[in-house]
Amino acid sequence: MSPVAENYLGITGYVIFWFLFAIALGLFIQRVCLLIRLLKLGRPENRFDRLAYRFINMLALAFTQWRNLKAATLKDPSPIGHAFMFWGLGLFFIAYLVFIGFGSGFGLFTVLSGGAFETVFFSILDIAAILVIIAMLWVIIKRYVIRPERLKREETTEEKITQASLITVIIVLMLLHYGMEGFGYAAYGVPGSWPPLGTALANTLVSAGISRDSLVAVYQSLWWFNYILLLGAVIYAPRSKHLHPLFSFSNMAFKNLNPRGALKTVDIQKKEEWGVSKIQDFSWKQLLDGYACTWCGRCHTVCPAQLSGKPLSPRELILGMKEHLLKVGPDLLKAGRAAAAVPVATGEAGAAGSEPAVVPPENPEKAFIGDVISEDAIWACTTCLACQEVCPSCNEQMNNIIELRRHLQMAAVTETARDPLKNLRVRGNPWRGTMYARTDWAEGLDIKIIGEDSHVDVLYWVGCTEALEDRSLKVAQAVARLMKQAGVNFGILGEEEMCCGDPARRLGAEHLFQMLAMNNIQLFSSYNIQKIVTACPHCFNTLKNEYPRLGGQFEVIHHSQFIADLIKKNLLKLNQFREAVVTYQDPCYLGRYNDIYQPPRQILKSIPGVTLVEMEQNRKNGFCCGGGGGRMWLEEDTGQRISEMRLSQAMDTRVQVMATACPFCLQMFEDAARVKEVGESLKIRDIAELVAEALEIPKDAKDKA
Amino acid sequence: MKNIIVCMKQVLDPEIPLSLFHIDTEARQAIPPKATPPVLSPFDENALEAALKIKDTQESNVTVISLGKKLNRVVVSSALAAGADHLVLLQDEAFSDFNTYLTAGALAAAIKKLGPYDLILCGLQAADTNTGQVGTGIASMLGIPCITAARKVELDDDKVRVEKVSADGSEVIEAPAPAVVTTNYEVGVLREPGVEAFMSAAKKPITTWNAQELGIETAGTDCFNMVQMYEPVQEGKCEILEGASPEEKAEKLVTRLTEVKVI
Amino acid sequence: MSENTGVLVHCEVTGGKFAPIAIELLGAGSRLASELGQELSAVLIGSDIGGLAQEAIACGAKKVYVIDEPSLKDYATEPYLMVMEKVVQQALPSILLLGQTPSGRDLAPWLAFRLNTGATMDCMALEIDPATRRLLMTRPVYGGNAQAVQVCKTDPQIAAVRTKAMAPSAKDDTLQGRVINIEAGIDSASLKTEVVERKIEAAVGVRLEDARVVVAGGRGIGSAEGFQQLEEVAGLLKGVVGATRPPCDARWVPDSRQIGITGKIVSPDLYIAVALSGASQHVSGFFSSKVIVAINKDPEANIFKVAHYGIVADWKAALPAFTARLKQVVG
Repeated sequence: MSPVAENYLGITGYVIFWFLFAIALGLFIQRVCLLIRLLKLGRPENRFDRLAYRFINMLALAFTQWRNLKAATLKDPSPIGHAFMFWGLGLFFIAYLVFIGFGSGFGLFTVLSGGAFETVFFSILDIAAILVIIAMLWVIIKRYVIRPERLKREETTEEKITQASLITVIIVLMLLHYGMEGFGYAAYGVPGSWPPLGTALANTLVSAGISRDSLVAVYQSLWWFNYILLLGAVIYAPRSKHLHPLFSFSNMAFKNLNPRGALKTVDIQKKEEWGVSKIQDFSWKQLLDGYACTWCGRCHTVCPAQLSGKPLSPRELILGMKEHLLKVGPDLLKAGRAAAAVPVATGEAGAAGSEPAVVPPENPEKAFIGDVISEDAIWACTTCLACQEVCPSCNEQMNNIIELRRHLQMAAVTETARDPLKNLRVRGNPWRGTMYARTDWAEGLDIKIIGEDSHVDVLYWVGCTEALEDRSLKVAQAVARLMKQAGVNFGILGEEEMCCGDPARRLGAEHLFQMLAMNNIQLFSSYNIQKIVTACPHCFNTLKNEYPRLGGQFEVIHHSQFIADLIKKNLLKLNQFREAVVTYQDPCYLGRYNDIYQPPRQILKSIPGVTLVEMEQNRKNGFCCGGGGGRMWLEEDTGQRISEMRLSQAMDTRVQVMATACPFCLQMFEDAARVKEVGESLKIRDIAELVAEALEIPKDAKDKA
Repeated sequence: MKNIIVCMKQVLDPEIPLSLFHIDTEARQAIPPKATPPVLSPFDENALEAALKIKDTQESNVTVISLGKKLNRVVVSSALAAGADHLVLLQDEAFSDFNTYLTAGALAAAIKKLGPYDLILCGLQAADTNTGQVGTGIASMLGIPCITAARKVELDDDKVRVEKVSADGSEVIEAPAPAVVTTNYEVGVLREPGVEAFMSAAKKPITTWNAQELGIETAGTDCFNMVQMYEPVQEGKCEILEGASPEEKAEKLVTRLTEVKVI
Repeated sequence: MSENTGVLVHCEVTGGKFAPIAIELLGAGSRLASELGQELSAVLIGSDIGGLAQEAIACGAKKVYVIDEPSLKDYATEPYLMVMEKVVQQALPSILLLGQTPSGRDLAPWLAFRLNTGATMDCMALEIDPATRRLLMTRPVYGGNAQAVQVCKTDPQIAAVRTKAMAPSAKDDTLQGRVINIEAGIDSASLKTEVVERKIEAAVGVRLEDARVVVAGGRGIGSAEGFQQLEEVAGLLKGVVGATRPPCDARWVPDSRQIGITGKIVSPDLYIAVALSGASQHVSGFFSSKVIVAINKDPEANIFKVAHYGIVADWKAALPAFTARLKQVVG
């Protein structure tokens, strides 16, 4: 019989049940509403397109635990534990709903309990509970005994209490399940040998000869204890530091469905819509990321900036946002939405007179930029996207950094980035001081300039680095030679080519990016360009994924894809050039950003004599060269050099050649190789250079080899 | 409210890649390259930064004047984005990059036309002509003092105070305002405008005057004859000194450098 | 205008002696005067400088105008301008030569505007056009990418001459000349500009951008200790040490020493590149240097394509010898 049907001190169990339930539900809703209202402090963002797809995708991601499981490795198989817990507790959630909610609360226990349904369900729960307990023991060992790097974090007392209580409550709930089964069956009749553990316990209790009244009393106590514990969890959950069980679902539903590599395009006229300097400047979705963070620490341990000793931690940014919102948000809500106009930190140039004067929050909180995250940390990001790749909750850490950078560039360009940004504005390229004109690399190669003859099938977009940077010119020459050899009808823009805008955008100077992009789009249109091949993944990403938002839709191909195709079509015949052991560096903007991993490897495998050896970190978890995010032009003076770290990883493979497919990787590794004095023992080459070296026809004598 | 005037010249990009730089020996000037837009002369940008630094600390109105045959709006209006309040363009067929006297005269006339002023800032020298005389010329024509090669400029109520490098150290010089000051790079690199600055620049006023509106005579103002202009032949030949040993080579190198009076 | 005749040279005095530019100008002036068949004169302005007049005469000056007054000890625009105007009005030269020095660069334009004539700055070469008998002045334009030759139609033809561009005058103590003392006659009350403070600063803190001589090292230097040797050379030449990016990356020298795209742009009279390959990001930082010298053990290094003088040698062996010989010459 259900304990709810009993009378306690004259009051029926139903009243107590529903009274407690109402309190718990009320407190739960109250808190969740606050959390949602805090989110609404943020800017609007449209993540409500394709709702059906979003919903189904969320269910799929959540229930398959896909994002978590794909991060499991031999060294770190803990995602399996989480899956156990998730599925196990999911089943329990349904059980509580059915048996406590409908069974007891609505008095349907005669229908639901005591029959085959209950037997089957409880049997499943018996096994699920074991899995959950295993998962919890796993958690205890990981978090308190082993303490891997990923989980090392300075935590507040409250955060520590949250964790400990969560683990305890779950284990207790599982034990209560067995307890209730045991005492329940012992008191009211053992149904047979299923559920296995429940019935086993019950039989033990029966043979212990405990009186029926005691059994019933214990059973009822356990039942109410279980109920109150559950309600307590319901009240505590949204108030705890661990919000992800409630919010990870929604984060998956609202995840970014646009190309990963496309940053948000903003209307630069509407400066109230972009650039983040205080918590309310983030969009509600960005703030939701804070709730959805699971503290797994994966983003922290894959971030190249963090690994090389910079003050940037994606995890701390997200959790910092959450904490800041929880601390500052309620006051902001009190002061009203208008208070959002006033910067939280004092000293900032006051909001323009158009906003009404408002009472600032009572305690002048710390400034977001400077205290929650330092400027150094903001500039340390290389935009490699490793953090977003690995996050089980689909958080978008990198995008937040760019928003912060946009704010820092609002009034005046920051000093560190001044040279490349000014050069972009004035000269259309970020390489201040280059001695080269954009066509110097092509001298003597007899290449069509589209301004003179626009009848081409393909535009070869050279990119600033390969046109103007000493080492990279050779790559442009190699690509051109390959295209000529294969008989491709291509042309270059020559002096008309301007930067694609990627460095400007990554450094936060959105106005420069849009100026350059609009210029280029107009230029392409005027020549009726449709197909573009580029050897630079940054140009590739921007032209392909970001130009469409500004009205420029073109077919954009990376040179690795193009050359792989030429080789497949037998348009390039490769001779054996020599035995070489080669490793390949996956450029972040080609790999993680655009999922292009195979073509460069195909190319390397089709060069006779080449043996490809993979570095330990490759493909999706490839390691950045440190040049992205505009960092190519910024000083790296804290900690180790990211490029040197990666070069060491390459040297560990004992290869002779490190192949790249990105001019930034090329530059960074050449510089690192010089510092580490590798000399001839490790050559850094673009894949185009390797293919060109392997061609049958000898090089043109006029080439600047 | 202080009135500060900054004279900024639009010049051929001094960082132009050499393969794009050519002299028209007939016209005796550089051929304007198609692909490389002109820029504001670097020392003039420093001068603007000096003006803006003063504006940072006291209420000032900064007017930028640019003079040329044909001015590129995008280039010169970047001065407004950097923080200037008003842009005055002096454009006339008769103006020339190399006519110092006419340039100084036109600028002086424009300054007079604008009204009262406290300080006039110019770059030390223009990146194309490399002469460094216009600032002095303006001062001479307006009858006010001129302090050249400043590395720090301050404007008090009635005084201009300048710090400049001297033969064996530095000097602080004061002159009664108004005065002309020419600046070197040490006054500071010009702040690069962010997006906000660009947006607000679009609303700032631009005035355009030609020689007639300035009331100046353009004929017969050039006391020079440009006889020739050419690119010096780039030999690209390095004189390699030989020797039997590194030590001998090194010694020969010193000797040679002494011979050619480099050391 | 046709009354103007002769060459007048402003002889700068530093530390009680003629500055090297003064001797160079006297040499050039002497040459020009003899080509024109006219007289060379000199003007000396300062305090306690009377004794130098004889030296000017020994360099070929037939007349030496001396304005010797305590208030003129250090250069200041207004008094020097007044005095020079006075001298020019008395001497009425056809050609007036000054140095392209801090004082010359300040003074020459003033004189041009005051005297209703033109000044040509940073002259690298001076010749007399045989046909017109006017002074042909060659100077750099467009940052040194081109050169211009021009003639001033009015007198005096004022030229500010680049240091070390002219051959210094030979000295002949047997030469005779006249010393003309002139009163400055400056009413100090009428001076508007005032030098409020003078600071003598030791040359220790010379900035890379200001240095006339830069000694730069590259990756091949190998260590911070290696850079000490470059410091020694720089010290002898009163120059400053610079570096390419790798030594800064490797922390052998502070980042402030970096020359190149992401570092500083320098334009010294002499740039000595030691063990650096001359990658373009670096070269663009110094390619407008007047003279570039390279020491590198790789004959194919790019630096040899931009240098004017060089030796193919390992710097570890060559630099000590270079330094020793330098000590003899300069020290």
